[in-house]
Amino acid sequence: MAECSSNVIMKEECENHEKCMKMIQAVLDGSASKEEIEHFKSNIDVCKPCFDGYQLEKSIKDCLQTKVEKKCCPQNTVDQLKAKIGIGLLLLGGFLIKLKVIQEIFLS
Amino acid sequence: MHKRNQGMEFEEEEEFVESKPRYSETEKYRIFDKEFMPHIDSMYNFAFRLTNDEDDANDLVQDTYMKSFRFINSFQEGTNAKAWLFRILKNSFINDYRKKSKEPSKVDYQEVETVYNSTEDAEFESTSDLRIEAVQDMIGDEVAMALNGLPVDFRTVIILCDIEGFTYEEMAKILDIPIGTVRSRLHRARNLLKEKLRSYAKSMGYKELR
Repeated sequence: MAECSSNVIMKEECENHEKCMKMIQAVLDGSASKEEIEHFKSNIDVCKPCFDGYQLEKSIKDCLQTKVEKKCCPQNTVDQLKAKIGIGLLLLGGFLIKLKVIQEIFLS
Repeated sequence: MHKRNQGMEFEEEEEFVESKPRYSETEKYRIFDKEFMPHIDSMYNFAFRLTNDEDDANDLVQDTYMKSFRFINSFQEGTNAKAWLFRILKNSFINDYRKKSKEPSKVDYQEVETVYNSTEDAEFESTSDLRIEAVQDMIGDEVAMALNGLPVDFRTVIILCDIEGFTYEEMAKILDIPIGTVRSRLHRARNLLKEKLRSYAKSMGYKELR
């Protein structure tokens, strides 16, 4: 895309397509530099291979984000982990202490 | 040292250093519960996508969380807990699980990248014949199958970036590689994924662009 002309007509070939695609992916991933974003904005509409590449990358990224099942950790694993760490006991201890303090406040 | 780096100051288990305790016992439990536990679903999903096995994913998550508690003094409260945990999980996977993996063959980063660096770019132009419509019509299982078919090292960067939404900077820290390598690896991983998706699309009867 670096060689893209400023003509309104889209060019059919991109001499530096692999480099352009890395930049386009960085833009889509939110990790592009300011210069890269500016370059992207000013060139994406004049280079057909880059425009098509952008559309395809975007659809694959959307697909990965929305269609691939996100596995949740089984509750059993969470419970086992908390038991190993002893966090349940600590929370229970904290709750009992609070309860005792409240009781003492009301009794006094 | 940058504040975020302070929370990710170890690399391998051997490099864990029993630092002088900073947190009281109560603080440790609070940090574990409030900062670490909210990420357990993402951690499990990452572990499952790495191992392709529910039991291994369970073990990997439990090991990771046990390590995170044991070495909690290496974590700087208020920094990026999710990235810190992901880095521990990734190292645990490489050190412990990859050795006994059920997958028949593993390819390391360098080997895969050498292959791709030596391949003409023109070969990957074939991926551009994948139709957007075909991708949009695919169901999640087909996309997941294509993802699972990638070598684990390439699968990892796509999971971290596209599914978990980490930035390149965070990925560089999790994987302990330069940002430039993150970009290159991601680019190659996506080319491979497109090849897989193109094969699926072809088998589904979608016509290619050419």
